[in-house]
Amino acid sequence: MNRRDLLKYAGAAGAVGLLAPKLSAAPAPAQKRRLIMVLAQGGWDTSYALDPKTPGMVDVPAGTITRFGQNLDIFTDASRPNVTSFFTKYYDRAAVVRGISVASVAHQECVKRMATGTRNETNPDMGAIVAHDNGNDLPLPYLILGDTAFAGPYAVSAGRVGATNQIIALLDPAQAYPTNGRLPLATSNAEDAILARYADASANRMRATRGANGYNRKRVDDFVEAIERGKKLEGVRDGFGTRGRTLLLASQVDLALDALSRGISQSIMLNTRLGWDTHDNNTDQAGLHETTFAGLTKLLDGLAARPGLTAGSTMLDDTVVVCFSEFSRTPKLNANLGKDHWPVTSAVVMGAGVKGGRSYGASTAGVEPDTVDFHTGARSGSGRVCMSSHFVAGVLKLCGIDPAGHIGPTEVFDAFVA
Amino acid sequence: MRIALALLFVAFGACTESATTPPDPPPEPVSPTAVFLSPAQHLTRASMALRGVRPSVEDLRAVDADPTVMESIIDRYLASADFGQTIKELHNETLLVRVEQPQMTYPPLGPLATVTAREMNDGLFEEPLELIRDVVMTDQPYTNIVTANYTMANGVTAAVWGLPHTGGMDSWQRATFPDGRPAGGILATSAFHHRWRSTGFNFNRGRANEISRALLCHDFLASDIQIDTSVDLSDPDVVANAVIANKSCAGCHQTLDPLASYLFVYRGALGPVAVDAYPVTYYTPGQVNRWKTANKRPPMFFGEDTGGMGGLGGAIASDPRFAKCTAQRFASYFTEVPQNQLSGAWVARMQKALVDSSWSAKALAKAIVLSDEFRISHDTDAARAESTVGALKARPEQLHRMLRDLTGFNWSTTSALRLRANMPYGTANLLESDFIGFRVLAGGIDSYFVTDPVHTMNATSSLVAKTAAASAADFVVEHDLAAPLADRTLFVEAAVTATDPARIRAQLALLHARIYGELVGPDSPEVDETFALYTEAFTETTNRARAWKLTLVGMLSDFRALFY
Repeated sequence: MNRRDLLKYAGAAGAVGLLAPKLSAAPAPAQKRRLIMVLAQGGWDTSYALDPKTPGMVDVPAGTITRFGQNLDIFTDASRPNVTSFFTKYYDRAAVVRGISVASVAHQECVKRMATGTRNETNPDMGAIVAHDNGNDLPLPYLILGDTAFAGPYAVSAGRVGATNQIIALLDPAQAYPTNGRLPLATSNAEDAILARYADASANRMRATRGANGYNRKRVDDFVEAIERGKKLEGVRDGFGTRGRTLLLASQVDLALDALSRGISQSIMLNTRLGWDTHDNNTDQAGLHETTFAGLTKLLDGLAARPGLTAGSTMLDDTVVVCFSEFSRTPKLNANLGKDHWPVTSAVVMGAGVKGGRSYGASTAGVEPDTVDFHTGARSGSGRVCMSSHFVAGVLKLCGIDPAGHIGPTEVFDAFVA
Repeated sequence: MRIALALLFVAFGACTESATTPPDPPPEPVSPTAVFLSPAQHLTRASMALRGVRPSVEDLRAVDADPTVMESIIDRYLASADFGQTIKELHNETLLVRVEQPQMTYPPLGPLATVTAREMNDGLFEEPLELIRDVVMTDQPYTNIVTANYTMANGVTAAVWGLPHTGGMDSWQRATFPDGRPAGGILATSAFHHRWRSTGFNFNRGRANEISRALLCHDFLASDIQIDTSVDLSDPDVVANAVIANKSCAGCHQTLDPLASYLFVYRGALGPVAVDAYPVTYYTPGQVNRWKTANKRPPMFFGEDTGGMGGLGGAIASDPRFAKCTAQRFASYFTEVPQNQLSGAWVARMQKALVDSSWSAKALAKAIVLSDEFRISHDTDAARAESTVGALKARPEQLHRMLRDLTGFNWSTTSALRLRANMPYGTANLLESDFIGFRVLAGGIDSYFVTDPVHTMNATSSLVAKTAAASAADFVVEHDLAAPLADRTLFVEAAVTATDPARIRAQLALLHARIYGELVGPDSPEVDETFALYTEAFTETTNRARAWKLTLVGMLSDFRALFY
């Protein structure tokens, strides 16, 4: 079944995107881009929006196919208004990549593959790579607001805020935890300078002996760099809010926007923190999509409202946003009216440098990965299946990074790169 | 009913390994350009690895004078309670049971109406780790971790699972299951099955893989899978037959599913919302034959009929992969070298040490820390230095014990934040907590989302180290300022208020030994640097106590304190 068949089946394919006012065209983006990842951890059902399918081989929810832009067909329904409004507003800044094969159905294994493009959890994910290559001079190049991330060898550039934003307890003495009624000893800048000199002298002694080269040298260098980064973070603590806040997606978006606009971070990992793993009651996917696309709208609204790195631009012109899930769900419902794990998924790539208003890649009517041309995204009998590694390589290229230097020689699925 | 695809199609290629392990590679010599730690440095590394605390000055001096006493000191370390904590932490990095997740935290009901979330989760999830600690610390064969006919329980564990218990709620005791479940060590603990729950139509495959991954170092899920779309996933019978007859499915499922079939005697899952009273029942022997209608594979351990769940632990213990995997896990944990980068020859020697000692985990740990591979400081060859781990970072739990031992400070706090409804978090050490504390920010794991520790510093771990050091320094200086000499923790060579430079230098030399494991004189270059720190701090603050606090902040957050 081809796209035309799908449209025919849907019967009332809308043209919302064609009628909606387009946002003004973005200026030429800087090559070295920022990256925000939104991880829908648990496994989303792509038949709810991103990869419309016909009933029969796939159990699908209520809805119809709506075409946005050139060929961006999204499965929409009045019961999922946030999905519709997101694509209505941002279709031209968004591309959907379909038919990505992760070749596994284990949560952590697939998160690793989709985030790093590799099968090794000691490798860095997209955010860690972009942070290291494009913004390593920032206080906290890779900010991890969600739960799962892979910093690998760039761990010194990464940092987590904690489940209840407890990082602020380390940055703001007024929000520190008291122990036995006493707050931690606070130090002045002058005292910190004395301590830094001592740490430097100690590090230099190590470099002259056990830490002269190799693994040990990296640990010593990281030790010194980490102190400097910690000091920088203390200087931008206002961007981290209050201790004890539960980091739902909307709160993560606020923190992410602050961290980018204040020059704290180059890349950020967000997590929807929703129960996507619908082995029971797959209809929960509707609400999960609603919350997620409301969050994406808030995120892109925020990026579009803040000044970018060049005059007249917005942050949306220099920031790439990628929303993905580690896998999708089986085509058919199980006996609990849930769906189980399926090793083919879709992703949304948004923002800077994206050839928006289109979908790229393909899955079959039975949600198998189809062979595609990596440079056009179109089905191709002589093409290849887009694996997670190819997709990750494309996102890295979009961010201005040569993927081969990080995930090894691999073909790049770059159809969505303008 | 349709079987979940979640674990149906696991790579064919991953499942061809038999219970017979391939021969080990020939011995690999330690790098000829490796430089080894001095005896005092070696003792410091062993002490931190085994206990998470620094060696006493007396032990340092003893081993410096006569390196042959090292072995007896190590024996003493292995008998310490701190080694028991290390054993728990080592095994948690594999079993991943220390979770603080609301969807796994049981509610405060009945006899547990007033417990905090922290107390609840300690009671729920420490059970298998406590059992392993008990096996190791009472010198039982390590194989008992999968064959023991008892478990461990505190008051919460006992109330939740219906186990006998006397004494205080936080007292861990041996307990036997009253429900007749067969012996199986950690495999028989309800906690293991609660953590590794089996949802929907997964039919215990996830649990089975965790058993295989953790105990045999065989991870079914690490491989690619193939989708065979000829399998009609809407028909449960077709799917059930496919995992037997279809090559792309059967390759792995012919070993994974029979292992999973043992586990039907435990509930698949029991989430907090389904708990309305204690005790709850997790062992369900009536389901022993559920495999007949579920995955249709009788219980087998890699082709071996063990006679049911009661024989599973013994079969695991008898598998050569168990000994090898144990040696790998211990060696990797103690050296911070990834398992797949360990010397095969060294692992083979350690495996032999374990088996030859009648499965003594202490003997294995001792053999590891006395190995040349463990006491490498660095490598003068630049290429080899890239993979030579000669600076081991203290894990958050180790940092907690180190600071407590050095200064008497326990960085704990009480939080009323709710981990789940009607359940305040409670009291925890901040270096051992994920929900309110800094375990993950300091490079540790939360056993759920973050499952690999970070062995280098970053901005947050640096801030944690500094804040912890500042708190500990403040605590110990205030304490020693008020305490008589006999009761002081650190300031025994000079009082906090001392002004004589000679006494201050002597005190600093003692701190170098205590905190860094360095046996240096009062006039050594090392002490010169720290004396300069103290002098600068005093010049800045004109306050002796403040100067000592700053000096200790610098020392306790120094590279030599955070790494070993």
